[in-house]
Amino acid sequence: MPRSLWTGSLSFGLVNVPVAMFSGVSDQDLHFRQLHAKDHTPVETHRFCAEEDEEVPYDEIANGYDTDDGEMVILTDAELAAAAPHRSRTIDIEAFVDLVDVDPISFDHPYVLVPSGEAEGVQRAYRLLVEVMGRTERAALGRVVMRTKEYLALIRARSDRLVLTTMLWHDEVRPTGPIPSPTKKDKPAKKQVDAAIELIETFSCDWDPSRYEDSFQKRLRKIVQKKSKGQTIEVADADDEQPAPVPDLMAALERSLEEAKSR
Amino acid sequence: MAPRSLWNGSIAFGLVSVPVKVYTATESKTVHFHEVHAKDGARIEHRRICPKDDAVVDSKDIVRGYQVSARKWVELTDEEVAAAAGSQARLIDVDHFVPASEIDPVYYDKGYYLGAQDKGKDAYALLHAALGKADRAGVGRWVFHNRERTVIVRPLDDILAMHTMRFADEVVEPSEFELERVRRKPREEEIKMATSLVEGLHTEFDPADYENTYREAVLKVIELKASGKNIPPPEPEDAQPADDLLAQLEASLSA
Repeated sequence: MPRSLWTGSLSFGLVNVPVAMFSGVSDQDLHFRQLHAKDHTPVETHRFCAEEDEEVPYDEIANGYDTDDGEMVILTDAELAAAAPHRSRTIDIEAFVDLVDVDPISFDHPYVLVPSGEAEGVQRAYRLLVEVMGRTERAALGRVVMRTKEYLALIRARSDRLVLTTMLWHDEVRPTGPIPSPTKKDKPAKKQVDAAIELIETFSCDWDPSRYEDSFQKRLRKIVQKKSKGQTIEVADADDEQPAPVPDLMAALERSLEEAKSR
Repeated sequence: MAPRSLWNGSIAFGLVSVPVKVYTATESKTVHFHEVHAKDGARIEHRRICPKDDAVVDSKDIVRGYQVSARKWVELTDEEVAAAAGSQARLIDVDHFVPASEIDPVYYDKGYYLGAQDKGKDAYALLHAALGKADRAGVGRWVFHNRERTVIVRPLDDILAMHTMRFADEVVEPSEFELERVRRKPREEEIKMATSLVEGLHTEFDPADYENTYREAVLKVIELKASGKNIPPPEPEDAQPADDLLAQLEASLSA
């Protein structure tokens, strides 16, 4: 069983459900260590005081904040925790929304919420939330503070459990306005759009995450294997060419459709 | 100021290529601290130490290693890691399409915006219009920072947005967490009451309705400390866990 990242309670009206939060992502990446080249001793990172040139134990480290006047304010972890004592232990459900109204651009990290404690009342309250959120297809919005950061959190039912997705705040999502976009004169003709839709539909399928594999990690594993057997790794040059824009969009669409049909 | 792009290349869609620039879509607004020595505010430096020599190791004497057994490490150079990157450095190869509404939020990793390049704006406009009308997102592969990722491309406002996606084996299935057995399931009456509580709190989502008030609270604590005031310790609190569910639901509804 993995360790919980946060424990506290989920509060819904006057109902409090003690929960433990676990990461919804399990890292499958190959991890490397930094080694001392001469004897392959794994290198460790130690914290040093830049002025005294001496190692500093962890409990003597505080948080420094540079003010606009060039001053530094030093806060201990306890002082920082005072900023929002209540919220660091409770997720208050503020509203219920429809998932389709939430744009994926603000999704951050997924977690799973599990009831903590064996008490029948706790277990039943958790199941009640799962049941009701599943039936109404609503997602709950709350706030969760982890370490020194507060997130907007979206909570919903999935596989009879509650899952939480942290979200970015609206001012952390950049406006799309300054991004270069086509102008009115680039507006495609209807027959071009129809042909493009036909092409899209020809290559449409359901979303099935299991069909995608991390080929980067797979190749990396092979490289490690080869290297460990003493073989040399061939480094091929990547195809750095960017294709030129097609001169005739309609002709390219028609040819794409013909190719798709002949397959 | 015009934002700066991270990557330039083309989306390949059938035989049509759409020249694009990639921009980050998000920026953190978290109050940023750095590590300091509590007693004097001196900067903390992270130094790399060899525990055998008990001495700082120069960065030119550090190599990247993967542990294959207790004693054996395999050394890899940057070029060897880059060999795993994927072959198309300038291409986002979109080869099929899915209904975006079917994608569970857990798969979305990082968001980007795609800007149009000066050339090929007609192709960009066409892909934007067709994806919108067909109500589909394109799925492709993108090599960025020497790593190939699965991405989806979808229309957002007047531009295309792109998301790197998590792989199925990275996503934890919630049912892996076992639940305790309960003697009885929630009663219909409790479900009915909780449902009206949910509906009472139902609202249309507008991200601008939610402000990060914690950020303000942190800045206030900094201000207090800067003016030499004491920071009051947090007060203990006691949340009552759910015992009498029905009574609590009733009280919530009448509150």
